[in-house]
Amino acid sequence: MAIAMLADTAVDSALEIRGLRKSYGGHAVLSGVSFAIARGERVGFLGPNGAGKTTLIRCLSGRTKPDAGEIRILGKLHDDPSAKEVLGLVPQEIAVYQDLSTRENLSAFGRFYGLSGQRLRDRVDWALNWTGLKDRANELVRGFSGGMKRRVNLACGVLHGPQVLMLDEPTVGVDPQSRERIFAMLDDLSRQGCSILLTTHHLDEAEQQCDRVVIVDGGQVVADGTVDELIDRSVGSSRWVRLRVDPPLRTSLTMAQDDQVISLGQVGDDELHTRIDDVSTHLPDLIRWVRERGYSVADVEVHAPSLHHVFLHLTGRQLRDG
Amino acid sequence: MTWTVFQISLRRLLHSRSELLLTFGVPIVFFSIFAVIFGSGVGTGRTPNIQVVAVDEVLSPTSAAVMDSLHEQGTLQFVHRAGDRLTRQQATEMVRHGASAIAIVLRPGNEGQVAVDLLADASDQVASQIVMSLVTRSLMLVEAHRQVTGFEDGSPTVQSPVISSATLASHVMHQASEAKPSAPQIDPTVQEIAASITNSIHVIDILGENKSSPVISMYAAGIAVMFLLFGAVGGGGVLLEERENQTLERLLSTQMSMDQLLLGKWFYMSTLGVVQVTVMFVWAQIVFKVDLWGHLDGFLMMTVVTALASSAFGLFLATLCRTRGQLNGLSIILVLSMSALGGSMVPRYLMSEGLQRAGLWTFNAWALDGYNKVFWRDLPVASLAPQLCVLMLCGIGLLLVARLLAIRWECS
Repeated sequence: MAIAMLADTAVDSALEIRGLRKSYGGHAVLSGVSFAIARGERVGFLGPNGAGKTTLIRCLSGRTKPDAGEIRILGKLHDDPSAKEVLGLVPQEIAVYQDLSTRENLSAFGRFYGLSGQRLRDRVDWALNWTGLKDRANELVRGFSGGMKRRVNLACGVLHGPQVLMLDEPTVGVDPQSRERIFAMLDDLSRQGCSILLTTHHLDEAEQQCDRVVIVDGGQVVADGTVDELIDRSVGSSRWVRLRVDPPLRTSLTMAQDDQVISLGQVGDDELHTRIDDVSTHLPDLIRWVRERGYSVADVEVHAPSLHHVFLHLTGRQLRDG
Repeated sequence: MTWTVFQISLRRLLHSRSELLLTFGVPIVFFSIFAVIFGSGVGTGRTPNIQVVAVDEVLSPTSAAVMDSLHEQGTLQFVHRAGDRLTRQQATEMVRHGASAIAIVLRPGNEGQVAVDLLADASDQVASQIVMSLVTRSLMLVEAHRQVTGFEDGSPTVQSPVISSATLASHVMHQASEAKPSAPQIDPTVQEIAASITNSIHVIDILGENKSSPVISMYAAGIAVMFLLFGAVGGGGVLLEERENQTLERLLSTQMSMDQLLLGKWFYMSTLGVVQVTVMFVWAQIVFKVDLWGHLDGFLMMTVVTALASSAFGLFLATLCRTRGQLNGLSIILVLSMSALGGSMVPRYLMSEGLQRAGLWTFNAWALDGYNKVFWRDLPVASLAPQLCVLMLCGIGLLLVARLLAIRWECS
């Protein structure tokens, strides 16, 4: 089904992945991964540790040969030499030469991507402006802050003007200001039509910065769509409610609904958790129901479902669980 | 706190195999190498075998007797057949080319005596001293026999134990009298004969006679090659660092291939090595009067090829290891062992024949032989062919092995 949908969108896709499989020593890391990214689209790529994210990125960058499946970049097979020219990779580590200056790093990586002459000089100047590091162009990278190093790391991956950019945790370990700056830089790339595949452990980052989210688990895509679509398909649009009660529960609290028994809390708990479809009508009813059982409500929190809830629902694990 | 620091340090050591190897393995390896060098070469009380050629320009019964006596010396290994009649020029060339450590030339002396010229290679400081004492002994034996039997033209024999022992005893007493002026009662005739024989032996340095610092170039080459190897290993280690910090992964995702990466590093490390050795030899020329400018062609050939081979060795070790720590441990053992065996630390002529043969498995030995031919023996560059070929083939071979080992990084 997913492959059929991909075929329909193939013409507009910057990146298409079909039935990708990869095993190491009999252990399947990718078990038929398929998804696509449209031109100029920004996709968050999520999954718990060991889900197959790194292997997929290595397959995309040509560093690992898949056992089966197909990768097309702008319609060309990824092992086509010209595919590398339109592909950019920004690894999670600061993979630049820290004992070279910013300008020297940019020039080196520009050459590695096949740039030379005036085009190289122009792109280096562009990158220095883009990163805001023009005034520190001749300083060694090792003296920079974490955020500045991240910007150089990012710039080295996009000097050649890739049409598809893969970013692996581009904001790990940086302060909020630097994160803002990095996402502003990515916005700039998106406006230029660059498609971005963003691997991140920050669910809020994926939710706010990406047009679409792909979640992998156990080597398979378990969800693919916008955040709203994923919420609707998985946890639904009902709100999460947390009530803090006093005194702590003397007995377990359960509620019957649609032939089901829903547990709100166990003996000794001072918090009750549940979901409600309509806050305006159901929340007062819930508070009244709790009071009738001899407890006062000290605090109330209502949460809209988020990507975090979707992720937990689909994978059963926190994002950083192994 | 102090105890905790001690415990942590110990635990870290126990967890690091390379550190353990450096701490306990390297000293044992080095002790063993030097024990073997000095245990079977110099310093054992046994005289090492010395390769010699002998020329008889006198062609008299006395000179023939001296020749026979010399051939009976187990320490001397004659590198030509007994029947071969060599000329002084041929013998000189053999020493100059390193085929023989020293040439013994018997020539007519005063009053019908046989005089001896020892055509020596001053870089081998042991050979000339040992050969001189052996030649003195042979001349003493023959002279003693001549004094006792009065033979001039007959065929003498030197096997008489009575005569030899008596003469040798006189010689020993003569030496003792030189050491202690007050030593008593030496036959003045014997003393005169011994002095006459000693004065008839001349050591001629045929290689270093015009050189201001005879062995400086040898040590310059030895140190240069050792540091070429260390530099190459350091350069190769950068590859492991790039792999550990994901830069290698990133580089290989660009348009660059592993072939280009390894070749780029090989050329860079080789160029750096050439510059490094050149700077050292320029310094040696300025300060120690090593004639670099006069041997520029041979120097450049040897330096370029040695640097290429060393760089390939560095890349081979780097691709063989998984971590920088492994590389550090392995490289220290290998480079220091190769330097010790190959003559960078101790001249190879001091080693036993077995160790000298083992040294030929090292870069250092071949490189030092080449530099020796250039700076010491003043041989034409064509004579460097064996050294250049061996080093170049080793370099290419190691580079190919490094390329094969690097495949695992390409498609892991």
